[in-house]
Amino acid sequence: MIRPCSLLLALALPASALAHGAELTATPVQAISLEARYDTGEPMAGAQVQAFAPDDPQTPIALGQTDAQGQFLFVPDPAPGRWTVQVRAAGHGAITYFEQGANALRVTVERTQNWGQRALMVALVAWGALGTVLFLRRNKRG
Amino acid sequence: MHLADGIVPVGMALAGYGASAGLTALSLSRINRLPDPGAGLPRAAMLVTVFFAASLIAIPVPPASVHLVLAGLMGVCLGWYAMPAILVGLFLQAVMFGHGGLTTLGLNGLIFGLPALAAFALWARIGGRWPDLAAAFAGGGTVLLALALFAGTVLLGLPASVDPAAERLALMALVTAHLPLVLAEGVIVLVLLRVLRRVEPRLLAHA
Repeated sequence: MIRPCSLLLALALPASALAHGAELTATPVQAISLEARYDTGEPMAGAQVQAFAPDDPQTPIALGQTDAQGQFLFVPDPAPGRWTVQVRAAGHGAITYFEQGANALRVTVERTQNWGQRALMVALVAWGALGTVLFLRRNKRG
Repeated sequence: MHLADGIVPVGMALAGYGASAGLTALSLSRINRLPDPGAGLPRAAMLVTVFFAASLIAIPVPPASVHLVLAGLMGVCLGWYAMPAILVGLFLQAVMFGHGGLTTLGLNGLIFGLPALAAFALWARIGGRWPDLAAAFAGGGTVLLALALFAGTVLLGLPASVDPAAERLALMALVTAHLPLVLAEGVIVLVLLRVLRRVEPRLLAHA
């Protein structure tokens, strides 16, 4: 025998549990795709990605981790301003920025150096360091 | 193994600058007590260049790659000059290649400078009696010490938003990748010091 209060409970069950239909809405959004690599070319796999909001650059917001190729895809927060995204793994890391405007998204990409530029810098530093010291020594002797 | 910008909190970076400044002041006062404080400068300039360029030479240790540290060589060859020399080298690496950050220059100075001074102390103490043993330990030991200081600094400055387990795992992978470098630098410093002792003993701080 069904008691009245049990019947009442059964009728009070949420309607969604009894529904058989489903709705799916697809909306295209702007996403940011990151690719993090060490300067030797290896991907930063499993690196942690965090963002800093324009109005609170002190508090990081955890976003997730890069995949084995060092890639990470996320949909940026719509709050306008300059957002900072940091990718870090074992004390190494890099920072990039994107500007969230009223209806546009602009990403700052940092410049990287090639081997020729690096070799030139090493040569300049060697010349500068040794040249300065030898110049000082010569003045002292003279 | 250079600490990048934005990895540790600002307070820690400032403390690193303070400690590095203290260690540099101590080094400079010791250099001033030498009979000719300027005598070691050409040697220091030469080794700054070597130290500066060494971070560009990547040695593949699958799946990662590591670069030479050479703090042990700096310590043994430069003695008290090592600390200011390392700071100059780190500054140039940060501005020119983005290896390590400018805000973390003080902390990086400690990570490389303290092992270099430890290598100098070891060389000064037992270098005369067992030069090969001292050289190998100065080379390999400094890499281990620098690794420990680096990992300790990262863990100490871990913000709450970073998953500590994932970061520890990444640090373990980094330390494991550097273990062959401990052996490699031990051998490199051993061979270099053997050659220097025979060819140009004046290049060593305490031969």
